[in-house]
Amino acid sequence: MNAAAAAASPTREFAAGFARDRVAVAALALLGLLLAAALGASWISPQDPYDLAQLDILDARLAPGSASSAGGIYWLGSDGQGRDLLSAILHGLRISLGVGILSTVAALAIGLVIGLVSARAGGWIDALLMRVVDLQLSFPSILVALILLAVTGQGVDRIIVALVVVQWAYYARTVRGAALVELKREYVDAAVCAGYGEARILFRHVLPNVLPPLIVVATVQVAHAIALEATLSFLGLGLPITEPSLGLLIANGYTYLLSGQYWISVFPGLALLLAIVSINLVGDRLRDMLNPRLH
Amino acid sequence: MNGKSFIAALCAAAALFAAVPAPAAELRIGLSGEVTSLDPHLLASQPNLTVARHVFESLTDVDPQTKLIPGLAERWRALDALTWEFSLRRGVKFHDGSEFTAEDAAFSIARPLSIRGSPGGFASYVRAVESATAVDRHTLRVRTKYPYGALPEELNSILIVSRRHAQDAGPEDFDSGRAMVGTGPYRFVRYQRGDRLELARHDGWWGKAPAWNRVTLRVIPADPSRTAALLSGELDVIEHVPSADLKNIIKNNKLHVTQTTSWRTILLHLDQYRAQPPGVSGPDGRPLADNPFRDPRVRRAISMAINRSAIAERVMEGLAVPAANVVSPDVFGHNAALKPQPYDPEGAKRLLGEAGYPKGFRITLAGPNNRYINDEQILQTVAQLLTRIGLQTRVEAMPMSAFLGRVRKEETAVSLLGWGSFAADLALRSLVAAPNPEKGYGAWNWGRYANPKVDALMEQALASVDRGRREALAREANTLAMQDLAFIPLHHQVVSWAMRADLAYVARTDEFTFAHHFSPARR
Repeated sequence: MNAAAAAASPTREFAAGFARDRVAVAALALLGLLLAAALGASWISPQDPYDLAQLDILDARLAPGSASSAGGIYWLGSDGQGRDLLSAILHGLRISLGVGILSTVAALAIGLVIGLVSARAGGWIDALLMRVVDLQLSFPSILVALILLAVTGQGVDRIIVALVVVQWAYYARTVRGAALVELKREYVDAAVCAGYGEARILFRHVLPNVLPPLIVVATVQVAHAIALEATLSFLGLGLPITEPSLGLLIANGYTYLLSGQYWISVFPGLALLLAIVSINLVGDRLRDMLNPRLH
Repeated sequence: MNGKSFIAALCAAAALFAAVPAPAAELRIGLSGEVTSLDPHLLASQPNLTVARHVFESLTDVDPQTKLIPGLAERWRALDALTWEFSLRRGVKFHDGSEFTAEDAAFSIARPLSIRGSPGGFASYVRAVESATAVDRHTLRVRTKYPYGALPEELNSILIVSRRHAQDAGPEDFDSGRAMVGTGPYRFVRYQRGDRLELARHDGWWGKAPAWNRVTLRVIPADPSRTAALLSGELDVIEHVPSADLKNIIKNNKLHVTQTTSWRTILLHLDQYRAQPPGVSGPDGRPLADNPFRDPRVRRAISMAINRSAIAERVMEGLAVPAANVVSPDVFGHNAALKPQPYDPEGAKRLLGEAGYPKGFRITLAGPNNRYINDEQILQTVAQLLTRIGLQTRVEAMPMSAFLGRVRKEETAVSLLGWGSFAADLALRSLVAAPNPEKGYGAWNWGRYANPKVDALMEQALASVDRGRREALAREANTLAMQDLAFIPLHHQVVSWAMRADLAYVARTDEFTFAHHFSPARR
């Protein structure tokens, strides 16, 4: 490492390190693009796919590039209800990314608190919390989510709750492991000697040091949450059929696969694939950089 | 032996071989509906009856166009307004070799009402029956509680079991095969719940011997999987060809498709009994002063807003005939003079305005997503079309079992239903008659439409043992109910079967798939 790099701020150094992997940079750019498209879906998509009054059943299942009855063009074709697939994908992406990120942030927050408390408290509290985590992790997440949604019904909010329930345990376990190591460090003893309160020690001193592994887990989990939401929607338990997410679009198109109308499920599938792959590539790069053993 | 006679002998041998059916003639059929039980008297669902009718038969039968024909009874007549006499076929043997007698028939007619915890369905077919008694071994006399012209149709749904085997049998004894002893063309071999029923030919059957000595009925509710199983050669036949795959299967020269208009009418029930139906509110979300569906103009507007030909062509890909009747064209009591409501969104908006809803209102449309052909897509399309005339429509599509649960809890106001019936008067009794649990009226009249004139005509029709008079009355009741839009008719399903090119099947209006009606096609 040369002197110039050492002199730069940690953030810039980190960015420079990240940029050394071209693939990760491309993935980050793609992810940014997808995020921007999802956020801007209402402005850039030619049609509001959730407004039933804008759909026309006579435009159902048109091939990519066909003209719509309203005068526009279905660049990626239309689905069985005459929904413009490009618009539906942009809106679907917004739901998928939104659900993935929101549920991950919420699960992360819950897991963080439980993990830190568990590590610091030790004893029976630790044992109890970790057995709950074990129990949670022993059920396949898709099964837990399916049962929850079958009980609570459809809706974006219910999906997010279900995803939080199946994800928090990963974070709790990761945080506890990292925190146990950190709690044995001298700076914690120093903080205790200085007479700081428990909350301050945990959240001001320990927390920043357990974040790096957590960020890695979180990026991978966002992708996992998106895939899970798509699976649930595909199985018909996610969102209302008139407001399709990517998984539901794929499910709708699946019935037409054998009849050659590939675009109805292939394009939403590609969008889902791009989102998940780009998140995973960025996550991988972060893991490489934040894992001290790889340096 | 000289050369000529040798060739002649060869030819004779070949002819002999040709005359004998191939030894391992097996037919593998893909069914679309979940079979919940093999007990033929437990739940009156078409998937259950489809498999049961391979093993059991009924006194009266129907031909592919739903016309009544003799079954285990060779003929029947009304002795007076309350008494029917059925002359039973002689020499019919159960699968265990015992003879079928009037005692078995009387027992079978009484059995549906004796099953405890039955999820239901069959009781309604025998509700009118006061008693069924064996006069002699081959004569059955049925007395009804009131004059009832539809008894022969109703008895078509009551399958005849062997009294000896079914006397103490519960549904589990049918699933295990112990009580699966009928008179039908096939006998029970093996049953794997949720997967398949294996059958073997009953060689002592009284009818024309079926071409297949082994039959496997596979249950594959997922449409693409059923198509894939046919394309891969895992199955010889599938019922309910998914509309999306129809074009490709027709193009495939190793397969062919046969289809007909089904007896099933797809319709929308509109809540007409509550002042505030669930899911219905003003355009701003506030409650409406009154139930809008009570106004015939609103019902007419909804009917005008529905583009039935677009649904038939775009959603159903031709597997639908726009409906204007309670029953489909082949069925008893159909009125060909009724024409489907033409699509007229402007007229619909005008009517809504006249009815006092110029800005429309909000509704929730509920229905199944796994029961009828493209049901979920139909719901979405109807929602789209209603939104166009100002009715902001939400869609709730769910599996049939969940949907029926919601309906029973009266949580739906606009509900999609499909109904198949042998006759218009029978259909009206279930769908349109003012609900009366004692008489068994209106069990599926979810909107609780009530019109004394329709009910009176329907009752007179059902009480007529003279078929000509009955049909005239049934047609009149049907016409009246449809002119008043007791429910919104959408379409009659077109039912289709896809099979290997060397097989033939006469498409049935009642949608049933019977292995014994498939034959090797003549080349």
